[in-house]
Amino acid sequence: MAPTIQAGQAYGFFTDTSVCIGCKACEVACKEWNQLQGNSPAFLADSFDNTGSLDAQNWRHVKFVEHVPDAPSTQGNGTAWLLMSDVCKHCKQASCMEVCPTGAIIRTEFDTVFIQQDVCNGCRNCVAACPYGVIGMNQQTGTAHKCTLCYDRLQGGLEPACAKACPTQSIQFGPLAELQKAADVRLAALHTQGQAQAQLYGRDDSVYGGLNAFFLLMDKPETYGLPNKDNAKLPSRNNAGGYVGAALAAALAVVGGLVAFRRRVTG
Amino acid sequence: MDYLAAEHFVRAPQWTWYILFYFFFAGLAGGSYVVSTLLRLSGDPRDEPAARIGFYVSFFATLICPILLTADLAASWTRFWHMLVNVTPGDTSLSFKYWSPMSVGAWALLVFGFFATVSAIDARIRVIPMFLDRVFNVVGAILGLFIASYTGVLLSVSNQPVWSDTWALGGLFLASGLSGSAALMALLVRNRPDAAFSLGRMHQADGYFSALELALMIVFFVTVGAAGLLDRELVWLPLWAIAVAGVAASLVEARGHMRIRASGEAATIAGVRLDTLVVSVLVLLGILALRAAVIFSAQ
Amino acid sequence: MVSLAATFGRGAMTNHWRDIKNADLILINGANPAEAHPVGFQWFMRAKLDRGAKIIHADPRFTRTSAVADMYLRIRTGSDVAYFGGLINHVLQNNLFHNEYVKNYTNASFIVKDEFAFNDGLFSGYDATKRSYNIASWSYKTDPATGFAMRDKTLQDPHTVFQLMKQHYSRYTPEMVSSITGIPAADFQKVADLVGQMGKPDKVMTIVYAVGLTHHTTGGQLIRSGAVLQLLLGNMGRPGGGMNAERGHANIQGNTDHAISWEILPGYLRIPAPGQKNLNDYVAQSAPKKSDKNSWNFFGTNYRKFMVSTLKGWYGDAAKKDNEFAFDFVPKPAGNSSWMSIFDQALKGKMQGLILSGMTAASIGPDSNQVRDALGKLKWLVVMDALPTTSSEFWHAPGVDPASIKTEVFMVPTTHWIEKDGSFVNSGRWSQWKDQVLPPQGQARHDHWILADVFQRVKNLYQSQGGKFPDPIMAMTFDYKNATRPELDEIAKEVNGKDLTTGKQMASFALLKDDGTTTCGDWIYTGSYTEAGNLMKRRQGVQDVKANDPTGMGFFSNWAWSWPLNRRVMYNRASADLDGKPWDPTRPGITWNGSKWVGDVPDYPATMDPHDPKAWLPFIMNGEGVGRLFSSGMVDGPFPEHYEPVESPVQNPLHPANSASPVAFLYDKAAGRPDRFGTAKEFPYIATSYRLTEHEHYVTQHVPHLVQLQPKPFVEIPQELASEKGIKSGDQVRVFSKRGKVEVLAVVTKRLGAMTVAGQKVYQIGIPIHWGYVGVSADGDPSKGRYWLANALTPFVGDANARTPEFKAFLVNLEKM
Ligand SMILES: Nc1nc2c(c(=O)[nH]1)N[C@H]1C(S)=C(S)[C@@H](COP(=O)(O)OP(=O)(O)OC[C@H]3O[C@@H](n4cnc5c(=O)[nH]c(N)nc54)[C@H](O)[C@@H]3O)O[C@H]1N2
Ligand SMILES: Nc1nc2c(c(=O)[nH]1)N[C@H]1C(S)=C(S)[C@@H](COP(=O)(O)OP(=O)(O)OC[C@H]3O[C@@H](n4cnc5c(=O)[nH]c(N)nc54)[C@H](O)[C@@H]3O)O[C@H]1N2
Ligand code: SF4
Ligand code: SF4
Ligand code: SF4
Ligand code: SF4
Ligand code: SF4
Ligand SMILES: [Mo]
Repeated sequence: MAPTIQAGQAYGFFTDTSVCIGCKACEVACKEWNQLQGNSPAFLADSFDNTGSLDAQNWRHVKFVEHVPDAPSTQGNGTAWLLMSDVCKHCKQASCMEVCPTGAIIRTEFDTVFIQQDVCNGCRNCVAACPYGVIGMNQQTGTAHKCTLCYDRLQGGLEPACAKACPTQSIQFGPLAELQKAADVRLAALHTQGQAQAQLYGRDDSVYGGLNAFFLLMDKPETYGLPNKDNAKLPSRNNAGGYVGAALAAALAVVGGLVAFRRRVTG
Repeated sequence: MDYLAAEHFVRAPQWTWYILFYFFFAGLAGGSYVVSTLLRLSGDPRDEPAARIGFYVSFFATLICPILLTADLAASWTRFWHMLVNVTPGDTSLSFKYWSPMSVGAWALLVFGFFATVSAIDARIRVIPMFLDRVFNVVGAILGLFIASYTGVLLSVSNQPVWSDTWALGGLFLASGLSGSAALMALLVRNRPDAAFSLGRMHQADGYFSALELALMIVFFVTVGAAGLLDRELVWLPLWAIAVAGVAASLVEARGHMRIRASGEAATIAGVRLDTLVVSVLVLLGILALRAAVIFSAQ
Repeated sequence: MVSLAATFGRGAMTNHWRDIKNADLILINGANPAEAHPVGFQWFMRAKLDRGAKIIHADPRFTRTSAVADMYLRIRTGSDVAYFGGLINHVLQNNLFHNEYVKNYTNASFIVKDEFAFNDGLFSGYDATKRSYNIASWSYKTDPATGFAMRDKTLQDPHTVFQLMKQHYSRYTPEMVSSITGIPAADFQKVADLVGQMGKPDKVMTIVYAVGLTHHTTGGQLIRSGAVLQLLLGNMGRPGGGMNAERGHANIQGNTDHAISWEILPGYLRIPAPGQKNLNDYVAQSAPKKSDKNSWNFFGTNYRKFMVSTLKGWYGDAAKKDNEFAFDFVPKPAGNSSWMSIFDQALKGKMQGLILSGMTAASIGPDSNQVRDALGKLKWLVVMDALPTTSSEFWHAPGVDPASIKTEVFMVPTTHWIEKDGSFVNSGRWSQWKDQVLPPQGQARHDHWILADVFQRVKNLYQSQGGKFPDPIMAMTFDYKNATRPELDEIAKEVNGKDLTTGKQMASFALLKDDGTTTCGDWIYTGSYTEAGNLMKRRQGVQDVKANDPTGMGFFSNWAWSWPLNRRVMYNRASADLDGKPWDPTRPGITWNGSKWVGDVPDYPATMDPHDPKAWLPFIMNGEGVGRLFSSGMVDGPFPEHYEPVESPVQNPLHPANSASPVAFLYDKAAGRPDRFGTAKEFPYIATSYRLTEHEHYVTQHVPHLVQLQPKPFVEIPQELASEKGIKSGDQVRVFSKRGKVEVLAVVTKRLGAMTVAGQKVYQIGIPIHWGYVGVSADGDPSKGRYWLANALTPFVGDANARTPEFKAFLVNLEKM
């Protein structure tokens, strides 16, 4: 049963990779609802993934990471064939939003990160900034596209299409606080079952101040193509360094110029 | 799919030719304004013609910049002005984010454009009152320094590999921009009896700028190396070679001019005109190659 | 389905999807529910997440089901009888079976005729020339006085089913299981230990399977071996238990109930056989016989009523007492008319024409090149479909010269099921009424309108021109508002049947009569559309769980309607002990409250006191009244026995002399066509074929969003084998069998791997079925999908009981292109 959705509350996703069956219903549901035609068919020879990456046409992307051991019998439990439905993380500290010069990227009344299509002017600064490679450019409109966290559906009181389509509740949608509780319970359960490597990603503020769309992973973040907390940095970290470097260079250059041009008495 | 090797998982922004040339012209626009200003500040009255040429260069280079930037927006080019005005329905306002180099840069370009234009006009028919023009040039030059350097900072303020792993890009682009400006001005003054006087000084300045550029290149490689991304640069070795050639050329050329006494005698100058052409072209190619190498090494 | 009927009395999933959440242990064999039944799979995950149930998946490939299973076992295709046989042996040797249940609710105590024997892979009564069994000896010793079967409740008599069985499965030691299945003995022991605990009354296990067991020449026995294990563990009839067949198409269960297969009439009544002169002969030869004094033998007792009411429903006034209710109007086929037999006949040039409705023969049948030849031998072919199929386009398939095809092909555009209302019957036997979602497009017409129209025209021709034996056509009742455009609602009403004296809808099949005063279209659906209206439309579900599912067992009795009589778990009398108390109070099926049975709708007389000495036994559909560990309902053996697939790289370790099923039906041989089976020498690799979650057979080749997800045909190749052959993912490879070849892309993976079978190293490769020469991918490919049909490889051979093709186990060779 979908929760009743009100503005002013923080919503998000808890995506539990340990129960994902890689059915891609989320990918398709997203395309259907958002009328994305998807990429033209291409065989990627990468396990069962033929979508490749999140981009303007794919706002959900199920990753297939094969770590099946050689033994003829093994456990599954999301550890041998790692299936993960990736999506915009709706970061609390959003790199994309930070660098966007036009103010096109906003936080909605549901605490989600949303790109206003009528404001975006296609500069692609957000693309360069998003540490998760989420944003893609739509050639027709010349604007940046990504998961809207079904802004339109939330406004209409409906849960996001992808979460609704997910048969295993690998994608759970709801108020952030509730999701975080659910995640802690699930993690504890996995740990008691001896799945020591199970970990939450983005549930606390260790990456980008916390992710509204956070994950339960069965392996290191890097394994799923996610920056670990040492790699997860904001673009603005380089403002100071960059400008100081430039200022130093400027000072030296000015001196150099003055020296080169200094008046000489000719005799 | 196995990601374990990777460290950055970001998508490339596809900033290619338009942006490359924007960075190139921004360097020349800011650079030549600065050079001209410095000429006026510490130069000889005989440097004035060269200074004026510099302001013209700056003006024309500045004209090209917004065209390239707008072209880069492709389908949504009509919205170039959204850089300055936030049109979010409900709260439309001016858009300025000091922490976003692109936002700051957009404003800087606008303001600098004003200075470049006025200075160019002023170079033809004096419009700025005597007592003001030095101040005016200095302010413009500071903006010029920003225009020539912020593009490097803009790249760093991202999560792209290489770009975001070094703090040297702003300085590198500035030094190379100045070097390129000096070289270009040398090229333009070399056959003008009235301006040729400054030729040697241009080469000398270019020498200093190139030395600085070389130093920053080393810093760049050290920082990128520290991030373990040197391999991404090796692919672009040819471009780096061209960049280094430019630097080397201007250094050699500068050494030559240190020895010549700048007396303005035609004879002494005559000898170096051909190599000015060669050197300046090498330098300009070099700074273009440098920018290309940096831009493409991330994407 | 045959094997479930032969064991429990009815051929369908015994429990239902939602019930899987009640299990402690879930064995998945021959199924890939995460991919083939993703929505139903939510209940597996609920069991795992909410009650800590363990999921054990045995499959030749590590699939998306394995990805979330607690234990994955790489098993050799076609070897599950050994897997279950080993578990049966473990349970018997260590007395882990549910003693009270086995004694009272199964035929363990029944005594089998002395003549019954099993030697070197053959049961008594085998006729090598006919390749079939005379099953006379596969029956019980009867007490001359009562005529009932003799029993020994102590289970000591060496001829009891129990003792025979114990002896039969003693050969299935962990080592033998390992040598047949390829599962290391240690890993098998882990499974045995878990399964061994499921005989405790407070534990319950479910076995889930689908066509990974069915698509074998041993399919029937593969399934029965699981059913036998479940009876021994006392898991039948209980919430969280059962032998659960996941069915195919959204309404394949409905198709089966309404007699999609040739050998039955609606409601699993047998098709009359030649020589049956009247209803008495028919009932005598078709109905189960009561073989225990406490057996209700409900089916057998009422068989005549169901048949008469059906005839009455079909032929109305023309069905009278004095003409045996028009029994003779029903055809009595002499030959077999299963799927393959039809195309076998066509190949022999014995068929004029064929109507394919919602089925694309050219893609789906074994040995598709031969099937294509068969289509080419028809005078005419009608394809009723919403979209072009390989069958409607076969005459100009890539590599085919249209001039060489004489068949006249008619494409009749029908509406797709999404464009009509009507009922879907899911695997759990829930008949759920649905609405039309989209309006029909173009000239498309509903199937039932097309058929009704054709029928009226044929009738008119008979009327105007006469003809041989027009009576069945003339007499056929057809009283719909519009004779060429019947409403599905009208048909549903008719299927339920009515009382001709009162004109009212029948409330239950228990009230059907054999005197011609009641009608039905399919007796098991009598009760679905009563005076109360269309019960299949009911929707009292999760909006109020407390009220709609009081027991918490997920019955939701007022959600839609399930046959029989809205029972959600079949044979639920067996969920309670002899006193009528649930084996596990936390998971009650039905409970005797002193005056009546409460909980689920009882599969039993609602007020029959369990303490009454005359109380019926729990399996009311069986003549014995109990579940059959030993069954004469199968033509290939009363106890499941492991046989090799017809194409296998090894000899059967149990009895090399009789390696494969001695009764599998070899069509080509029987028809005198050249042998088309390959040997392990030419074709060293085992192949199996299957589905991907991204596609629905061949039809989704028309759906761009789904084609993007799996754009190109491929085969899954074990990494070790691939490196031997220098094959990388994305390479073009050729896979070929004795029948034909496919040229597709390679997906190299560790999800498949080598295994040791009968001391020999074997590889299995996987072949998804979804591609052919019609659809988006084919159109976009230079080859136009010429060598994309998986079935070009599969053998034209059938299982002895249902003539199911061996899609899941055959030999191929592999090369890089
Ligand atoms: N997405 C999707 N879902 C579908 C369909 C579809 O086309 N697409 N089709 C529907 C239909 S009609 C049907 S019948 C069902 C079929 O549902 P399933 O039977 O689950 O589907 P399959 O993929 O044919 O086979 C299941 C598994 O059996 C394994 N297998 C093969 N041989 C053996 C064996 O001998 N032993 C064991 N233990 N495993 C074996 C295969 O590797 C495969 O993983 O799916 C239905 N659902
Ligand atoms: N090698 C191999 N072969 C197999 C299998 C395997 O596992 N391996 N699986 C077998 C199994 S279990 C099955 S069920 C078959 C599946 O074989 P099919 O059922 O023939 O495959 P579908 O593509 O589902 O074909 C259904 C057709 O019905 C059409 N259709 C849909 N709705 C309607 C309707 O309302 N009316 C009409 N007239 N048409 C409609 C669709 O357009 C589609 O063309 O394949 C079998 N073949
Ligand atoms: S994931 Fe990327 S696009 Fe989404 S909010 Fe974070 S930075 Fe922005
Ligand atoms: S592309 Fe659009 S959203 Fe992205 S930074 Fe530029 S203006 Fe903002
Ligand atoms: S929330 Fe909506 S937009 Fe975002 S991925 Fe899910 S369906 Fe797509
Ligand atoms: S729908 Fe759910 S289970 Fe299926 S791929 Fe997406 S997240 Fe995984
Ligand atoms: S396709 Fe239909 S029937 Fe199959 S799982 Fe999805 S919803 Fe269920
Ligand atoms: Mo099926």
